[in-house]
Amino acid sequence: MTATFKGYPRPNGTFGIRNHVMIVAIDECCEGIARNISKEIEGSVVVTNHYTCMYGGNEEMIDTIIHTGINPNIAGVLVIAMGCGSIDPELVAGPVRAEGLPAHTLTVIKNKGTIETIKDGIELAKQLKAHADSIERVDAPVSALRIGIKCGGSDTSSGLASNPSVGAASDKLIDLGATTMAGELLELLGCEDILKARSVSPEVGDKIERLIAEDLKRWHVIEGTETMSIGNSVGGLTTIDEKSQGAMHKTGSRPIQDCLRISHIHREKPTTPGFYLTETTMLCGGSAMHFASLGAQLILWTAGAAGFNNSIVPVIRVSGNSSLITADMDINACGIMDATDTIDNVSNKIVERVFAVANGDKTNLEGVGYAYASLYQKDQRLEHVIGICPQ
Amino acid sequence: MKAIKLASNDNVATLLGDVEKHEVVEIISADNEVIAEIKALQKITFGNKIALCDIANGEQILKAGHSIGKSITEIPLGQLVHVQNVRSERLDIPEAIIEEIIKQMGIEK
Repeated sequence: MTATFKGYPRPNGTFGIRNHVMIVAIDECCEGIARNISKEIEGSVVVTNHYTCMYGGNEEMIDTIIHTGINPNIAGVLVIAMGCGSIDPELVAGPVRAEGLPAHTLTVIKNKGTIETIKDGIELAKQLKAHADSIERVDAPVSALRIGIKCGGSDTSSGLASNPSVGAASDKLIDLGATTMAGELLELLGCEDILKARSVSPEVGDKIERLIAEDLKRWHVIEGTETMSIGNSVGGLTTIDEKSQGAMHKTGSRPIQDCLRISHIHREKPTTPGFYLTETTMLCGGSAMHFASLGAQLILWTAGAAGFNNSIVPVIRVSGNSSLITADMDINACGIMDATDTIDNVSNKIVERVFAVANGDKTNLEGVGYAYASLYQKDQRLEHVIGICPQ
Repeated sequence: MKAIKLASNDNVATLLGDVEKHEVVEIISADNEVIAEIKALQKITFGNKIALCDIANGEQILKAGHSIGKSITEIPLGQLVHVQNVRSERLDIPEAIIEEIIKQMGIEK
């Protein structure tokens, strides 16, 4: 097994597996301008703050944009602001530049309006693209690889085939020196003791328990709440413990280094290779941008259903449900369901696919269709009301 | 029909297809080796669990090496292990919903 991959070197010492120019519409009114610029620049991606043009209360989402700007898959950033809101485009460009990446800003009302800004934006984005194109892939250590792990549209095959296979692949990737990360803390309800036992320290264990409890409070899961559907149970899941453990299997078995917080004041990132839990949301689109902001170059997605893509962080799909095996699916884990294949064997295929995609192979759905870069954030005012706003 | 025992200390295996009452189930390990044959005491559908030994009342149900809940009655070898004889140790399904699941699945109590 190769211990390196071919990545694009970045000035801050990270290595991208893709080489995108990122165009940010820092307020919602700039979305059209950003898209008109992007149309002219191959391989560019648009990230839009679709909430508002105001900064107060939206710090977590803006912070996700900033940290996505320094994701290793990004070669340079152009930030567009309308100029009548309170979000200074330098809020994003400054930290990106501080990491050694080129970053430009344009403010529409200071730049003779929309038409001129599109023209100027295309020129600046072309410069960024030329810079990106000047960077060549070099040998990068596996320790530079960060991989997000997510499930979606789960069914019986997820708990038996795709999740355990991805978990076993995660263990193998960590043993090779990589970092893997999962989120969806709400869906780990009932796994607290197992996760605590896997933690590298009692402090990390307590943090996991606390952050799961906060997520249960945030989503109002109390005694008597229906946490599973009748369909889940008819399909064979007896308790929420069993359902959650099915989801947990995708996290493998290696020690948990930390549970990384994502909020308006925290953006904790992996410090040493290994496995991490994170506050990455269970909402698919938002989760991709959370993983991007934590520095993940690609995502493993165990799928009971189709959907979910991201234009910055490629998504490798794994399913054990034969009715979902189409040209979209990267890894077929169905053999586990009829005892003709094993978790160990499928996990080897996943590891191989991870390295192929890291080296430049496209995932089956990469560049196909369109995925909006959804930006999820917690409502700070509500967090204050229910008493879980971090200080 | 086959059922998979995910970890060596598990006391249940998960059915990889449907079995009828009194049908023999081949229990396989995660490496697909046949390790036992067990007669199902009732109809068990795909994705559901069969008891691999006699399980006492109040015992933990182990699947993939971890407890998924506790038995609320004695569960004999070959019985369906599900909502009619197991409860969560964390957050139970509401009783009315359990009754509906039992009805929809036609579980023999």
